[in-house]
This record gives sequence, structure tokens and C-alpha cells, in this order.
Amino acid sequence: MKKIPVTVLTGFLGSGKTTLLNRILTENHGKRIAVIENEFGEIGIDQALVINADEEVFEMNNGCICCTVRGDLIRILGNLMKRRDKFDHILVETTGMADPGPVAQTFFVDDDLRDLFSLDGIVTLVDAKHVHLHLEDSSECKEQIAFADVLVLNKTDLVSEHELEQLERRVTSMNSMAKVLRAQNANVPIPAVLDVGGFDLGRAVATKPTFLEPEYPFEWAGTFEVEESVYEVALEDGPDPSMDLVVKYLESDEQAETRAAAERAVRTWSEPVLTVAPAGRIEIGASRPVRLQLDAAGSKRFELRAPRGGRIGLYTQHLPSEFGLQVLRGGIAVRPSGENEFAAGHTHDDQVTSVGIHLEGEIDGERLNKWVSQLLRDKGTDIFRMKGILNIKGSPSRFVFQGVHMLFDGREDRPWGAEPRASDLVFIGRKLDREALTEGFKRCLA
Amino acid sequence: MLGVTIGAPRGKTELVPRWKCDAGDYVAAAEISKDGRFCIVGVGDGRVLGIDLATGRELFRQLAHEGGVLGVSLSPDGTQFATCGQEPNAKLWRATGELVRELPGGGAQWVEQVAWAPAGGRIATGAGRKVRVWNAEGELIVETEPLSSTVSNLAWRADGTALAATCYGGVHIWPFVPGAKTRRFEWKGSLISLAWSPDAKVIACGSQDSSVHFWRLASGQDSQMTGYPFKPKALAWDSESKLLATSGDATVTVWDFRGKGPEGTRPLQLKSHKGVCTRLAFSPKKGVLASGSQDTSVLLWEPRRGTQPIRYAFLEDEVTALCWHPEHRGLLGGDASGNLCFWEVS
Repeated sequence: MKKIPVTVLTGFLGSGKTTLLNRILTENHGKRIAVIENEFGEIGIDQALVINADEEVFEMNNGCICCTVRGDLIRILGNLMKRRDKFDHILVETTGMADPGPVAQTFFVDDDLRDLFSLDGIVTLVDAKHVHLHLEDSSECKEQIAFADVLVLNKTDLVSEHELEQLERRVTSMNSMAKVLRAQNANVPIPAVLDVGGFDLGRAVATKPTFLEPEYPFEWAGTFEVEESVYEVALEDGPDPSMDLVVKYLESDEQAETRAAAERAVRTWSEPVLTVAPAGRIEIGASRPVRLQLDAAGSKRFELRAPRGGRIGLYTQHLPSEFGLQVLRGGIAVRPSGENEFAAGHTHDDQVTSVGIHLEGEIDGERLNKWVSQLLRDKGTDIFRMKGILNIKGSPSRFVFQGVHMLFDGREDRPWGAEPRASDLVFIGRKLDREALTEGFKRCLA
Repeated sequence: MLGVTIGAPRGKTELVPRWKCDAGDYVAAAEISKDGRFCIVGVGDGRVLGIDLATGRELFRQLAHEGGVLGVSLSPDGTQFATCGQEPNAKLWRATGELVRELPGGGAQWVEQVAWAPAGGRIATGAGRKVRVWNAEGELIVETEPLSSTVSNLAWRADGTALAATCYGGVHIWPFVPGAKTRRFEWKGSLISLAWSPDAKVIACGSQDSSVHFWRLASGQDSQMTGYPFKPKALAWDSESKLLATSGDATVTVWDFRGKGPEGTRPLQLKSHKGVCTRLAFSPKKGVLASGSQDTSVLLWEPRRGTQPIRYAFLEDEVTALCWHPEHRGLLGGDASGNLCFWEVS
């Protein structure tokens, strides 16, 4: 029997959960949906079955957080399955302050629900205007973001593009696994939140090279309009003896600070650097990043020759303000037409992060099992979620699995076919040690 | 005791159905009247049925709870019954199928529990965190304070003088005799099933964390049986209050309360089902235990005599209801697809 997908909606009070629920219920999608609403819920729509529930978090086995479940869901969903007219989809709305862990765990832990339902996805709504009030000090807020499969940045009309991009970077650094959608009035496409089970980690990696490493190697990007001419990059004394940068031509309608352009810059960034001394030349569109030597005191100037007019993107390892960096033409500063700051790899202050690991080569199933079991026993409390697509030695099919805290569930997926075989594993959690996780995963290679 | 399989047991015979019928949807609840003349069946499509036990003839079929029936309970004299389901009201009916009145649960939550006292003319309902008790006319006589979480089970003392309710956090007992005190047994676990021994001495509960917990009421002393592979959803006492049958996975585990047991003893393990055991019922007259399973099988056992099944039958889907004729003349079974069957047992 096909399992019934369950979508969990989380988000702080005022983030737009009810608006999204109402949209889902009123839109004509042909699905029979049952909604389990928290005790403060306010939906009243006739065509859908709406069940009010007190959120009852049950601890078991001496309070182990990984065995904590939502007792009300076990009861209500068990009863719902006694109807012949079964449902196509279940939506569970949590209260604003809810920890999403117990909701998700319920579908792994309970004998009956595990057989009948599958957790399709956790959708977290984020109030783009007010989330910063909670992001620093609310563990619930962080956990809701960390647990999400889909993050809806809602109320984007209330913030600037700059603020929005900062927020997006921030949440992506906490949870690189989630699909991030922007919305006003929760106006996201319904399939993007209801059919998350189709989310393909492998495809996400293929189309987004930085998916597994959302921390950009540069802190700043600026877009400049240039003519065929000689420009200069001028720097004053700064905190470091050198700084790396990449300069690229962009398409005429493209901005350097957009994600797509930034990700192309990341690819160049990974090449070996070319060191340039003051008065040396920076080539636009070079296939390698340049490292500006800045150890001499006083102003330093580098030649930036534009062989043709157009739009260029300048990516710098540190913020221009740290070095008083300017682009000059004939001694006069040229202002960027657009700019953005990026979360740098070494400066995240969030306790909650994600670690993605990509491995070529086949995995030994037994070693993996041992490693994951041990890892979850030791660190299960801090690992919120885990997802992976694995290339298991001796199996013609992809092995997909996901976990919540200490619980995990894996199965054989479709055959690899012509697809390149490789393994991707993502952890989201608190105090994650990227090196140790990568090292551990590598030891599972066959 | 290994290798007992369906199809090759010694001396085991198939139960003969007296009648079969289609209840229309998931058989959520069933009860047989004390005089053994009819049964009341609550169904997933929201209907409640009265069926003549001798012939299988349908006496009535009424829409009771739009979203689905969750519980039915007959009055001891067989003239009325109460139902609850996926809506905020329970209902009181005449045994002939006419609605007497609604019993509001007092909130937006479903009334998930209904239990008619074996004596004393009281009906208990559980909705959300509150228990309400009504008289046989459907008038509210008691509403409890909210429990620490949603009421998960209700059971009356065999003589009807006290009511027990479980929730996550323990068991509450309210007496209905003057001067007696309310009792509460704390247990930090989600109690999903409840069985009060017929001699009123022991309350046993299945817990979400795959254990069975029981309290001896005289001393208040509690014990726990752990090691179940699944949560024990079904519990049943034999009529002498000596054997407690419990479900877990496919194995039926029977604890013996004679002597100093069951503490420190090994339980009987009844193995023959191939799927998780879902229903258990001891015959009120003989020491015969009926067990139903997810694998559609129904088996009869005599745990005092042996650990092999003595009779067997099959429904067509997961067994969701089992009840005995009060004089041990037959067994009623229902499944998740709406099949009802009454087997002869002689």
C-alpha cells in the first residue's frame, strides 16, 4: 500500500502558516487533505477536514529526546485511517514555538504510523521582516530552520533586496539542504511545498555546485559598468598581508551578486592563485584568482585593463571597507552599480550549521552502517537531520536515506542507470565537526 | 516451542462461520449484548449497525458520526447503547437504532472513548483531557478536571463502582461510592491500552514505549514488563483474573498472576500468527483466548493447556474487532475492510 505523505508546517507566530494553509486548502489541486491544526489554529474551511489537536509531546525511555513523539498525532492519524475514504495528504500545523523534532520523529518511531505514512517534508515559514528578532536567541527558531526541507521566506515585500539576500545567506548557512523560496502572503507554488518527497539531493548538487558548501570563499561582490579603458584597483593598509579576488565579465543583464554569478566565481576561486605585486596587472576574466600582495605600507595600486566595454563582477576575499578598496578610472572612484556581502566560511556565528560531503567511489554498506550507528549514538542529540544518496558497492540502485536525530530510515531507490555514481551526505545540526564527519564518511569507502 | 505454523498444527480445526456480512467499512468497534441476541457494530464510514446474532440479519443501520465511529458500548440490560466517533459529540441510542440524545464532549475535540458501566446506569465519555459521566437518560452527572493529557482509555470496575482513565502520565481512578477517594497512579509514559482485572485487583496498561505496566490496587505497588518488540495495543484478562494476555508483535504473551507471579516468572509465548497481533479477547466462560492479527488470522488458544492454537479462521483484512458470545457459543470478528463474521464455538 502506498504510504500517505505528511507535510509539517512550522514557523513562528505571524510567519504566515495560516495564510499558507488557507491557500493550500482553497486551491483546486484535487487532493483530499486532512489538516491537523494546533489548539490555536484558526482555519475554518468546509471542504477540508480540519482537526484540532493539543500538541502533546510524549517522552519515552527516560526522556531521550530522540524518542520524543507527538502522542496526539499517533492517536488522531490512527483513527483517521479507519475511514474507507482515505486521504491523499496530511498537513500538520505546529504552534509557533514548537520544536519540529518530535513531529518528525513520530513518523519514524511509531510502529503503526511508520507503516501508513511517510514524512514528505517539513516546510518552515520565516517572517523575513521579524525573524532576526528570534534568530539569535531562540533555539526553537533555529531548529525550525534547521529541520526544514523547504524554507519559505515570507513577507519579502517588507524588506529590501539586500536584507533578503543577507537573510537567505544566513538561513542557507544553517541549513544547506532546504529549498529556499521567497514569498509575499505565502504565495508559493503549492507543489513546491506539498510534493517535497520528490526533492532530489543529487540533482540539487548537480545544478548548484555550492550546494554542499554554501559558505562562499569571498565576502563581497560588486558589479561595475566599464568601457574599453585602463582602470586601477587601489587599496590602503588593511588587516591582512594579502587578499584574493576574481574579476569576470558578466552578461549585460546580470549582476555579480546574484547566486548564479557568484557560483561561477566560486568555480574560478577553486583554481590555483596567481600572486600579483603592487603595480602588477589584474586580468579580467582570468581562469584563476589573483592574490594581491599587500604587505608594503601605504597605498597600493594594481592595473585593471578592460579590453572591451561591458559589465564586470568583482569578487573580493574580504570586505572592501577593510582595505579601503576602490576601483579608479583616471584617479576617480567608480561606484559599483550593485554589491552584496556574503557569509564567509570562517565567520559564521550560528551554532546551527550544515555539513555536506560529496564522495566519489563506492561505499561499503556495512562500514557505513557501523559508522552512522556509532555517530548517531554519540552525536544524535546535536544532529537534527541527515539526508543522503549513496553509491553502495554491489548495488545497482541508489540508496537513499534520511534521519531525524538518532533515527534513520533508508531504502533502495531507482537504479543508477547512466547517472554518474557518487555519494552525497548532508548533516544539519549543532556543533558539527566538518572534518571529523568527512573523515568518518571517507573511511566507509569500499 | 518452535515451528508452529498455520496449516500444519495437530488437531487444529477451522472455525465454522454461522454467518458473514459486509459492514461497509472498517469495523472500528463491536459489542455483543449480554443476552447474546444481537450485536452493535461501529464502522469507519460513520454508521452504526445492529445485527441479529443468530441469523446475521441487519436490524438497523444508522449514520452516527459523520467522520467515523470510534467506540460503541451497550447498556448492561441491552436496551440502549452509546457511540462516539470523529466529532465532538457522543450519542445515546435505543437498542433498536433510534437516537435518544447527543452527549456533548464539551470542546472541539473528538469524543474518542465511550464506556457504559457494567452496573449502576452510568456512561463515561472521554474527549480531549476531560472525562464526562452521564446517567442512562443522557444527563451529565460528572465532569472531571482536565487530566495531564488526552484521555487514551476508559474502563469501569467490574461492579461499576469506579471508573479508570489513562493518559500520558498515569492512571486516574474515580470512585462512585460515597466517601471513597480519587486515586492516581503516576507513570511517565503514554498508556495506550487498559484492562482492569475482573476481580478489580489489578489495572494493566500497554505503553507506547513497548512495555506493559500494571498496578496492584490494594498496595498501589506497580511493576513493568519490558522487552516487547512493538507497543502492546491489545490486553485481555481471563475471567478468573489469573491470566493477562498481551500483544506485541506476532507473538501473544500471557502472564500468569497466580501465586507470586507474574514477577520473576517467564510468560507463555503463543506463536502462530505471522503478523502483528491486534486484538485479544478471553471467553467469559472458559479459559479460551481469541487473538486476531494484522495477517487476517484469528486463532483460539487454551493457554492453560498448551501453547499451540486449537482453532483457526481467517478474515480478509487486518483483524480490528473480536468479541465473545457471553455464553461461549460463538465469536464475532471484524476486519479493516468491513468483513464481519460470527463463528460457531462449541
